Amino acid sequence: MMDATAQQKPGAAAAPLVSLRAIKKTYWRGKEPVPVLDGLDLEVPAGSFEALMGPSGSGKSTLLHLIAGLDRPTAGEVVVGGKTISTMGESELARWRAATIGFIFQSFNLIPVLTAQQNVELPLLLTKLSSADRKKRAQTALRIVGLEDRLHHFPRQLSGGQEQRVAIARAIVNDPQILVADEPTGDLDRQSADDVLTLMTRLNQELGKTILMVTHDPAAAERASIRRRLDKGVLV
Amino acid sequence: MSLLRLAATNLRRNLLRSLLTIAGVSVAVVTFLMLRTVIWAWNAAADEAVPDRVVTRHKVTFIMTLPHRYLDDIRQTAGVREATAANWFGGKEPNHPNEFFQALAVDPETWFTVYPEMVIPEEDLADWKTDRQGMITGDVIAGKFGWKKGDTVTLESNIFEGEWQFHVSGFYTPTKRSVDRNTVMFHWAYFNEQSPGKEQVGWIISRTQGDPNEVGRRIDRMFDERDIQTVSQDEATFQRSWLAGFSAIIYAINIVSVVILLIMMMILGNTVAMGVRERIPEYGVLRAIGFLPRHLVALVVGEAVVLGLLGGLLGLGLAYPIVQEGIGRWLEENVQGFFPYFDISPGNAVLAVLLAIGLAVLASALPALQASRLGVVDALRRVG
Repeated sequence: MMDATAQQKPGAAAAPLVSLRAIKKTYWRGKEPVPVLDGLDLEVPAGSFEALMGPSGSGKSTLLHLIAGLDRPTAGEVVVGGKTISTMGESELARWRAATIGFIFQSFNLIPVLTAQQNVELPLLLTKLSSADRKKRAQTALRIVGLEDRLHHFPRQLSGGQEQRVAIARAIVNDPQILVADEPTGDLDRQSADDVLTLMTRLNQELGKTILMVTHDPAAAERASIRRRLDKGVLV
Repeated sequence: MSLLRLAATNLRRNLLRSLLTIAGVSVAVVTFLMLRTVIWAWNAAADEAVPDRVVTRHKVTFIMTLPHRYLDDIRQTAGVREATAANWFGGKEPNHPNEFFQALAVDPETWFTVYPEMVIPEEDLADWKTDRQGMITGDVIAGKFGWKKGDTVTLESNIFEGEWQFHVSGFYTPTKRSVDRNTVMFHWAYFNEQSPGKEQVGWIISRTQGDPNEVGRRIDRMFDERDIQTVSQDEATFQRSWLAGFSAIIYAINIVSVVILLIMMMILGNTVAMGVRERIPEYGVLRAIGFLPRHLVALVVGEAVVLGLLGGLLGLGLAYPIVQEGIGRWLEENVQGFFPYFDISPGNAVLAVLLAIGLAVLASALPALQASRLGVVDALRRVG
């Protein structure tokens, strides 16, 4: 594995968008503490495409959750875009997530009874946009991911790769600074995985999205500008 | 799309389960409406009472009789325009012993003056008055037993012994829907000849002028010093005191109504809870993209409200043909003495739908709370 900074590609900028300092995260199994992250420091430059790799239980997803404001550290500070999110309240954090983070999950997690366009529109329900504007933005997001001809298809009428592209459209519809992806190609065949990774690379290079991706797939990690490896709660 | 539409759309996820729940709620609503309508219809007679009619009965109990001479005394009381009397006969048609109808021994000269809502042709009335064994019947009971004018009819009584022969003098028609069309009336004089207790009447009915309650008190004061005291009540109060005798039945019906509502709530609660349990990962995703706990509460409760509303409206839609037009018409024709008319009142209809919605909200409270308390990470861990 090559050094993370040495792996930066031309599209990556240098200014840190995400800064984690002395992060500790401990879960409790009954009365027994289970440390997951142990004094971790990390800086993610704006506009980078980072891959987080490591064995199961190494703390990759936990790290992703902390950066995305889904969880709070036991100790340490998480600063994203100049804001210390580790001290934000529940509602403030939810609003911050809605505006700043786009999520891409392994199993797509589209709502089966909503069309592609309605699924993409979901995050916009929390905004003050009019119904027409919401539709327009959802259609734009679906056009970006190449699914403008699938607006009214339900998830069951789409292939796995198409479903993941709808999920990506949902992730970018709010125009967030950061996309976090947890095993985005884990449920896809090779061809669909390549298509999705190509799309993510485009979002990074053309739209300047900072992407943090947890993956076990070396081919997926190859697409990232920075690759980091986590083992037993520390970056190695 | 809106949150409410999203909540409603969620019902399509498991269409069969949603439809079964809506059907379950609708059955509960139909049953609830039937029971409420029983109570409502039972009280309808009191609500339809004529305000200037006063009923005088024995002070101890309705089933004890009054001396016939009290009728003349009451007619002389200030404020009484006309008075008539009746005895409960407990009539049965020997060939149809299970058919219930009301048979009364009455005063032919005054009965239809006191009860103008029963209309009888002049000719029939004249025939009746002149025939000591004459009887006037409602058209429904006459149709049921095939009685025609001039027929000789034999009735039995579950109170008085023997066979009682009557001649059908004619038929009355009601001017109001609340008037029982199954009543048989015959001469008190004929009844008095054959009954063991001579010169007795069951109750006396007066048409009054002025305050009927004051007239009633005047009547009662008149008999205060006599051997038999009376209680006089306006017709509505009298009807209600009669209904009070069935309070145990009404209480039981109310209990069953509550049980029906609880069942409805459990049906709704079960469906909503299953939906929440199945969608935990999805709630995790929604929370991740910025939905707040209150948004999840709105989604869960909104879905339950749509279920309750659809079930309530379907139940209401079914209740009109089943309860009102089906069971109701049958009851009106067969036991009109108890149910003058059996209609679903607008109040009960609104109440049923509101309860379906309200109980849906209540039933979804716990699942909604559980959904709102989900930790985002815990919920997402179930994403797979």
